[in-house]
Amino acid sequence: MKKFFTGVDYKSFNQKRSEDRNIRRLAHKKWKTTKLRLELGLAQEEIKEKKSFKNKYPNYVKVIAPEVFSFIKNTNEVIELIEHLKKLYDSNQKVYVVLEHVKETDYSAIVVLLSIMVKFKTKNIDFNGSIPSENEPRQMLEQSGFFKNLYKKFTEHDSYDISTIGPNGIHTHAAKKVDSALSSQIITSATKYIWGEARRCQGVQRVLIELMQNTNNHAEIGKLGEKHWWLSVNQDKNSKKVSFSFVDFGVGIFTNLAYKPTESKFYGWVQKLSSKIQYGNNADLLELILKGELHRTVTGEHYRGKGLPGIAEVMRRNQISNLHIITNDVFCCASNGIYRTLSNSFSGTFVYWELGEDNDSHKRVNTSSID
Amino acid sequence: MTVINELTLVVSTNFSPTPGPRKILEGKFSGEEFRESCLEPKLKEAIEKNTKLLIDLDGTAGFGTSFLEEAFGGLIRINKYSYEEILNHIELKSVEEDYLIDDIKWYLKDAANK
Repeated sequence: MKKFFTGVDYKSFNQKRSEDRNIRRLAHKKWKTTKLRLELGLAQEEIKEKKSFKNKYPNYVKVIAPEVFSFIKNTNEVIELIEHLKKLYDSNQKVYVVLEHVKETDYSAIVVLLSIMVKFKTKNIDFNGSIPSENEPRQMLEQSGFFKNLYKKFTEHDSYDISTIGPNGIHTHAAKKVDSALSSQIITSATKYIWGEARRCQGVQRVLIELMQNTNNHAEIGKLGEKHWWLSVNQDKNSKKVSFSFVDFGVGIFTNLAYKPTESKFYGWVQKLSSKIQYGNNADLLELILKGELHRTVTGEHYRGKGLPGIAEVMRRNQISNLHIITNDVFCCASNGIYRTLSNSFSGTFVYWELGEDNDSHKRVNTSSID
Repeated sequence: MTVINELTLVVSTNFSPTPGPRKILEGKFSGEEFRESCLEPKLKEAIEKNTKLLIDLDGTAGFGTSFLEEAFGGLIRINKYSYEEILNHIELKSVEEDYLIDDIKWYLKDAANK
């Protein structure tokens, strides 16, 4: 027997077993330390909840939505959430969005959440979320079709239509191309809600076409029709107002400007602009863009209603109200002349506006022709 | 130049009540499609008959700027009509959005200057 324990074979086997045990022990110690560190200061109930979440949603990453879940009111935190989700999407991680702490939300955030959900689902990455405890945000999310679509399968399409039918219906559409017939239909249903009859709002139609065209042409540098645009339309139950939230997850206005090709009128715009106008940051630059100054200074021509200045002009003509733009590191409420630099940068363009009784509209000439 | 009679092109009924993007590839009812299927043939006819083409822009859901630029600017850029030839043979009507007339004239001028 003694001979066996002192033999070379046994000694080598014993050495290997001891090393393996040590590796296991160290790994366990590391796991235990991390676990205890994570549970430090947590109540037993929370620890239990964590365990049950892990069992129910294995390998999901929990992402907590901010209490004020509004892209307009809480821009920085919502951008943080979007960027976090984007990273998880790129690394194919399953996601569980914790919405139960949300106290306030609006359609500006809902369109973002819906679009991200569809993006995950089309890539076959599990995406789930909890229900807000507060009544108002819960109802809003329910009406948006978010929960209804959480368990649906989505495949890659050029267009999506997420609609719910109800007195306070929120309709979300997505496409890659410019769809002027759809935007006209949306305006028809909005005007029926506001004025009680179908009307034409050429200003809103122009804004929608310009934005869809921008997404199609500029969302991806050097490529056409690569990205989806997303539009959520909501009829406000408290006032005769309809809000429009438009978003694309392209490169954003300033990144696009930075990569203007040599044949573009805007090539070398920084030198041309800075030689004539002083501006400090992108917030100042957006103000110049919306006023048509960038176009005028760089090209020496009037902008003639094109692009973003054209959208601001629609607002000045009182065809829309409460215009907000969020792109890259800039937040703007054009209606109140607020231009602010953000601490987080949003890769994309978000535009929000409202249509109400005080805005201009035209009676329909032939109600059957525009639908 | 004296022109007699008048041809009419009503965008909302002769083309679409919902004019769309610039190019055919970008979506339905584009400016390119409008120019190729309606505007250019009608303008050609007007020039041949030495008449004016009245283009009625009212009654649509609204126009994107790219649609108008492609449709009218394209007459010079693609179809090689001269600025004067176009101005002599078209008349624009836009009561609902009066600014569209100035915009279109500017697009024509801009295309002619390039």
